Amino acid sequence: MNTPRDARGAFAIWRVLLLAQFRESPARLTVTVLAIALGVALGAAVYLVNGAALNEFGSATKRLVGEADVIVRGPREGFSERLFTQLAEDTTFGAASPVLELEVALPGQRDTLKVLGVDMFRAAALQPALVGEIGEGLYALFQPDSIYLSSSAARELKLRRGDTFAVIVGSTPKTLHVLGILSEGSYSQALGLMDIASAQWTFNQIGRLNRIDLRLQPGRDIDVARRDLQQRLPAGVLAVAPQVERDRAVSVTRAYRINLNMLALVALLAGAFLVFSTQSLAVLRRRRSLALLRALGVTRGQLQRALVGEGAVLGVLGSFLGVLLGLGFAVAVLQLLTGDLGNGQLRVVGASIRAAPLPLLAFFVMGTVAAGVGAWLPARAAARRPPARSLKGGDGDYTAVARYSASIGVALLGLGALLSQLPALRGLPVFGYAAIASLLFGAVLLVPTLTVKALSVAPRTRRIVLDTAVAQLRENVALSALSLASIIVSFSLMVAMAIMVYSFRVSFDQWLVKLLPADMQLREPLGNDTAYWSAADQSRLAAVKGISRIDFRRTRQLLLDPARAPVTLIARGATATQTANELPLIGAGTQLLPTNAEPVWISESLQDLYGYKLGDKIRLPLDGRLHTYTVAGMWRDYARTSGSLVMSRSAYRDATGDDSANEGSIWLNVGADAGVVEAAMRARFPRGDSIEILTSTALRDRSLRIFDHAFAITYALEAIAVIIGLMGVSFAASSTALARRAEFGMLRHIGMLRRQIIEMLAGEGIITSAFGVAYGLILGTALSLVLVYVVNRQSFNWSIDLAVPAWQLMVLSVTLIVAAAVTAIWSGRAAMSQDAVRAVREDC
Amino acid sequence: MPREVDWTQPLSVEGASADPVVLRLERLSKRYSADRPALFEGIDLELRQGEYLAVMGESGVGKSTLLNLLAGLDQPDSGRVLLGGVDLSALDDDGVTLLRRRAVGFVFQAFHVLPYLSVEQNVALPLDLLGVREPERSRRTTEMLTAVGLAPLALRYARELSGGEVQRVAIARALVHRPRLLLADEPTGNLDARSAAQTLTLLREQVKANAGAGILITHSRTAAETADRILVLEAGGLRSLGPGR
Amino acid sequence: MRSLRTTWTAWVFLAMANVATGRPLVFPADYGSHPEFRTEWWYVTGWLTTDSGAPLGFQITFFRSKPDIDASNPSAFTPRQLVIAHCAISDPKRGRLWQDQRIRRAGLGLADAASGDTDVWLDHWSLKRHDGVYTAKIAAEDFSFDLTLSESQSVLLNGDAGVSRKGPDKESTSYYYSLPHLHVSGEITRQGSADRVTGEAWFDHEWSSQYLDAEAAGWDWIGINLDDGSALMAFRIRGVQGEQRWSGGSLRDAAGNLQILQPSQVEFRAGRRWVSPRTGIRYPVQWSVRAGARQIDLLPLIDDQENDTRLSTGAIYWEGAVRAYEQEHLVGRGYLELTGYGERLRIR
Repeated sequence: MNTPRDARGAFAIWRVLLLAQFRESPARLTVTVLAIALGVALGAAVYLVNGAALNEFGSATKRLVGEADVIVRGPREGFSERLFTQLAEDTTFGAASPVLELEVALPGQRDTLKVLGVDMFRAAALQPALVGEIGEGLYALFQPDSIYLSSSAARELKLRRGDTFAVIVGSTPKTLHVLGILSEGSYSQALGLMDIASAQWTFNQIGRLNRIDLRLQPGRDIDVARRDLQQRLPAGVLAVAPQVERDRAVSVTRAYRINLNMLALVALLAGAFLVFSTQSLAVLRRRRSLALLRALGVTRGQLQRALVGEGAVLGVLGSFLGVLLGLGFAVAVLQLLTGDLGNGQLRVVGASIRAAPLPLLAFFVMGTVAAGVGAWLPARAAARRPPARSLKGGDGDYTAVARYSASIGVALLGLGALLSQLPALRGLPVFGYAAIASLLFGAVLLVPTLTVKALSVAPRTRRIVLDTAVAQLRENVALSALSLASIIVSFSLMVAMAIMVYSFRVSFDQWLVKLLPADMQLREPLGNDTAYWSAADQSRLAAVKGISRIDFRRTRQLLLDPARAPVTLIARGATATQTANELPLIGAGTQLLPTNAEPVWISESLQDLYGYKLGDKIRLPLDGRLHTYTVAGMWRDYARTSGSLVMSRSAYRDATGDDSANEGSIWLNVGADAGVVEAAMRARFPRGDSIEILTSTALRDRSLRIFDHAFAITYALEAIAVIIGLMGVSFAASSTALARRAEFGMLRHIGMLRRQIIEMLAGEGIITSAFGVAYGLILGTALSLVLVYVVNRQSFNWSIDLAVPAWQLMVLSVTLIVAAAVTAIWSGRAAMSQDAVRAVREDC
Repeated sequence: MPREVDWTQPLSVEGASADPVVLRLERLSKRYSADRPALFEGIDLELRQGEYLAVMGESGVGKSTLLNLLAGLDQPDSGRVLLGGVDLSALDDDGVTLLRRRAVGFVFQAFHVLPYLSVEQNVALPLDLLGVREPERSRRTTEMLTAVGLAPLALRYARELSGGEVQRVAIARALVHRPRLLLADEPTGNLDARSAAQTLTLLREQVKANAGAGILITHSRTAAETADRILVLEAGGLRSLGPGR
Repeated sequence: MRSLRTTWTAWVFLAMANVATGRPLVFPADYGSHPEFRTEWWYVTGWLTTDSGAPLGFQITFFRSKPDIDASNPSAFTPRQLVIAHCAISDPKRGRLWQDQRIRRAGLGLADAASGDTDVWLDHWSLKRHDGVYTAKIAAEDFSFDLTLSESQSVLLNGDAGVSRKGPDKESTSYYYSLPHLHVSGEITRQGSADRVTGEAWFDHEWSSQYLDAEAAGWDWIGINLDDGSALMAFRIRGVQGEQRWSGGSLRDAAGNLQILQPSQVEFRAGRRWVSPRTGIRYPVQWSVRAGARQIDLLPLIDDQENDTRLSTGAIYWEGAVRAYEQEHLVGRGYLELTGYGERLRIR
C-alpha cells in the first residue's frame, strides 16, 4: 500500500506535471476550471433560489394554516356557515376557526388580492401570533370596511395605513379602508385580513364560509377524526390535513423545479466531460513524457494519483469558484426576479438565501468528484499503458477499446429505449430523465466505433489535403472521438431542447388560435372570486354597438382531491354541441355526444392525474350536491396544469342556478373599431377599467411573450452547453495541432504550402464537426422524442405535437461547423508559428 | 497550386534552363546572431548534374543550417543560392515552396514518415502535391517502391515497419518525383550499423537513378565515403577532403 | 392587550344606556343580561375544600361587552356583543393560579348572554341560574369546574338600592347586586384528576355603561363571607397618583341588616407587598381594611394570585383568595381584587 515515501513521490510528480501543464497551457486550464465552476454555479444557484423560494412559500403557507390539525375546505363559493356551528359545538374539536378566503378583484389590476376573513377570537387559538400582530386594530377591524394588509400587499398596491382602495364585487366597486400594515415578518405573501363579518358582508357572502380550521381535543387520532369528519361533510367540502395543504402549494411547482435541477445537472456533467476531455488530451499529448517517467521508475500508482490529482486541483478550484458564483447568481435572481425562475408559480417576495453550508458543500464535492472522475479515466488508461508502446506512439490498440465501448453503448441505448416506456414515478419523469442519460451515454460510447467505421468508408478524394486530413483523423481516432463526443454531447442536448421548446411553442400557438377565434377577449381578473357579470350585466355588454356576437364563459375552482391543486371548471358554449366545436379536442374526429348524461370535456391532466377516461361517468360536487356527467372528450389545456373540465353553460346553470359569467369572447361587426367597442364596454360599469379587454391578437402575443420569458433560462443553459462543447472541440484541435508540429514541418519541407496545411486542418475540423453535428442531430431528435412524449407529458400532463425547427437547427449546425473549422485553423496557425526547420528537428 | 508535370522531362524545373549545374552557391554567409561568430562566410560551391556530394563536419558547425539554406527553408545573411539556375532569394515563400516541391527531395534523420498513412500513400505524397494523376501516380510509386525493395509492404502503415524500412520509405518519398536535388540530413543517424550500410548504398543508387544530384550531410566518415566527393564544413568555410569512393 | 384597552377606553365615553338615571331592580329579570349597557359581568369567587381537606380558591367570571360597531351588517358573525370568560383556581400546592380565558362574539348559538335570568355561555363554558341554584360548567385548557351554587341568603343590593356610585362624578355608577354565602358543591378537575369539593362563594352581578371616570387608575375590592353569617363588600377607586378617589361598601349581618358604607367609612391600608416574577408588578397582598365599625386584616391564601387576562379582558391584575382576621382571629374568607397596579386599568 501507500508508504509515505510513495505518496511523497506521487506528490512530487504531480507538482512537476501540474506546473508544466500550467506553464504550457494556462488558458486551457483556466477554461476548464471555469467550465466546472459554471456547472457547479448553475446547480447551486438553481438549488438555492428554489430552496429559498420554497422555504418562504412553505413557511408562508404554514403561517396561513397555523396550528390546525384538520382544515375543512370548500369550493370558492363556499358552504353554509351552519357547518361551522355544528363543528364548533362538536366536542371532538378543541377549537374551530371559520375563514372566508377569497381572491378579490381589484379595478385596473391583473393580479387579485387574497383576502382572509377571520374571527380573530377563534383564530387566536390556532394562530396566536396573528392576534398579537393585529394588536391594536382587533376591535377597529370590526368596522365593516376595515382591512389589514400584509406589508408586501401594501407595497404592491402602494397603499399606506389610512388609505382607501377599491375592490370589485360583482360588477360594482366597493371601498376598503386600510386600518394598518402587518409587519414584514408576519405574512410574506400579499394578502389582506378582514373581520369575518365584514368579509361576508363586503363580498356578498352572507351565511357562507369556505374554510374552517380545526384543532382536535388532545389525545384524538387526527387521521381517524379527519376521516370521520369527511363522512359528515357536504359534497365538494373536504377535510384536509394541513401538511397536504402545505405540500400542495409546493407540489404544483415540483415538476418545473425538478426540470431546472436536471438542467443544472446537465451543465455539471458537461463540465465533468470537459475535464475528461482536457485531461485525456493532456495525457495523450504527454504520452511520451509520461512513458519516460514510467521508464525512469515512477510507479503506475504514483502516475495515476498524480494525474487524478491534476484533475482534482481543477475540480477544487472550479467548484470553489462555482459555489461563490452560485451564491452570487442566486442573490441576483432573488433580487431581480423575486425568486421566480420563470414559470410564475413561485413568486415569493422577501425570500432570502440561506447559505446552508451543507448543500453548498455537497455542490462543492459534486464538482470536485465530477472533475476527479473525469481525470481518473484517462489517468488510469495512461498508467496502464506499457511505456514501450507509448514511446513508440500511435493509437493502434484503440479499435479494441472502441469495440468494447460500442457494446456497452448498444446496451445503454437499449436500456434508454426501455426506460422511456416507464410511467412517471410519484408524478415525476424520473425514468424519462434516466432514459435521456442512458441514450446520451450510449450514443457517446458508440462514437469511437462509428468514427472508425465512418473514416474507413470515407472515399479517397485524390485531393492530397483532404485525404491526408481523413488519414490523420483515422490515425488519431481517440482524439477524434473525444473531440466528436464534446460536440455530440452538447449539440444533441441543444437540439433536443430546441425541438422540445419549439414543439411546445408551435402547439401552444395553435392552441391559442383555436381557443381565441373571436376578435376580442374580455375577462375579470384571472382567478378572482369576487368579480363577475350577472345576467343583466351580460345583456348590457351584449348591447354595445359594434358587437355582432358575444359568448360568455364562467370559470370556477373545484377541489376534487385535497392533495392536488383545485381543478378549473369552465362553463362555455350555449349547448354541448357548440362547446365541443369550440374546444381543441384531442383525437379530434367527431365524437358522439352522450345522450344519457350531460357531457364534460376533460383536460389531459385530468386523465393523467385522476385517471378519468373517455366515456367515464364522473361525479362533480356543484352547489353542495353531486352531479353526474359523462366524459365526452379530452382537450388540450396549456393554461392550467392542475387540470380543467369544460361543460356547456346550460349544464352548469342546471346544476348551480348560476348564470353569471367572468369571461367572454367578442366578434365585431365588419368595420367596427376594437378601441371604440372596448371603451363602450368599459363605460357600462362604474369601474369598467377592472375588466381585462384585449384583442385576440394582443392576447396571443402576450401569451407567447410569457412563454418565451418562461423558457429564457432554458435558452441560456442551451447556449452554455454549446459553448462548453465548442471549448472541447477547440482543446482537441489545439492539442492535436501542437502534437503535429513536426508533421507540419515535414510537409512544409516536401513542398506543402502553408495554405494547404491550413486547408488540411480546416478540412479535419469540418469533417469532425460535420459528423458530430449530423450525429448530434440524430441523437438530439431521439432525445427530443423522450422530452416531448415522456418528460413533458409526465411533468406537465399535457401533450404537445412534435415540430422540428429546421431553420434554427440548420443555422446552428452551420455555425457549429464553421466554428469548429475556425478553431482548427486558429490552432493550426498557432502550431505553425514555430518554423518548420525547428519542428522537424524536434524528436517527437 | 500543383500543375501538370511533363513527365517526359522529369528533371526540368520551371523557369530554369537545362543547365548542367544543379546547384550553385555564391559567397554564401550565415550567422546565428550578431554577437556570435559567423557559421560560414563566403562559401562558393557548384554541384553538377549526376554528382553525389557528402558534407561532413562536427556537431554545431552548421551542416543543417547549410542544408536549410540550400532548400530555401532559411535565408542567408549574404550571398545567393541558385537552384537549377533560379535565384532562391528572388522568390517569395510560396515560390520557394513550389520550387522545392518540384526540385528537391528530403531525407531526414528522424524519418518523418506519417504514421497514419500507408507506405504507398507516404511515398506518393510529393506526387499528390504535384497533382500527378493516375495511372502515372501509381506507376511511379510502384516503380519507386520496387526500387527500394518495399513493394510487398505497400499497403502497410509506417508504424508497422522497422527503422531501416521506414528510412527506405523516406528515400522513396524523397525521390518519387525525380527531384533535381536530393538533400539527406544524417539519414542513418537513427539506424543500426547494418541498416545504415544498406540505406547508404540504396541512397547512392537511387540518387544516381532518380535525382539530378545529391548532397549527403553526415558526421560519419564511413557514410561520407559512399559519396563521389567529400567536403568538410569547418569554422568559416568548406574544405575539400578529396573524392569519395 | 394594550390594544384592547385603548379601544375600550374609547367606548367608555360613548353614550349608552346610563345607570345614572336609576331604576329599581326587578328580579329575576335583572339576573339576566342587559345588552343595552356597554359592560356587564357575572362574578363568582369563593373558597373550596377538597375531600382531603385542602383549601382552594376559585373564580369564574363572565363578561358581556357591547362594541361600538355598525350593527346593520346582516352577517351572523357581526359582533353585536362580545362574551368573555375568565376562570382561575388558587392552589397552594401549585403556588400560583390555574387560569384560562376566552373571548367570543355572541351569536350563532355558540356564545351569548341571555336576558330574563342568569344564563351566559361561550363554547362549552357556562353559568346558569335556575330556581335559585347556579350551575357553572367550565372546561378549561388544563382544568375544569362542574359546580352547583345554591343561594342561602337574599340578594344584597349594593349602593343606593342597587345603584352603586364609583367616583366623584355622578355619572360614574353601575347597577350592582351581590349574593354572599352561596353553598358550593361539585367537582374540580386539575390535569385530569378530579376532586369532590364543597365550599362557600360570593356572587356579584354588575352592569354599566360608564363605570370608571377618566382619572381613575384602578380599584381595590373585597368580598368576604364572614363566619358569623355576615357579608362584607368594600371597594375603593384609586386615581393615577395612587390617591383614593372614591370608596364604598356594604356590610350585612346574618339577620339581614344592611349597612351601606359611605366613602368616609371605608379605608384601605396596604401592608406587605409581593413582586410578580413574570410582570415585575408590585402588589400589596396584605391589607387592613376599615369598614364601618369593623377593622379587618387580610392575608392571602398564596402570594402569587396574579391574573393574566391580556388575551381576553386585556388586564393584568391580582385577584385571590384571602383569609380575614379580626384581632388576629380568623373571622372569614373571601376574595381580594387589586387592579391598575401595573398600568392604569381600562374596562372594556
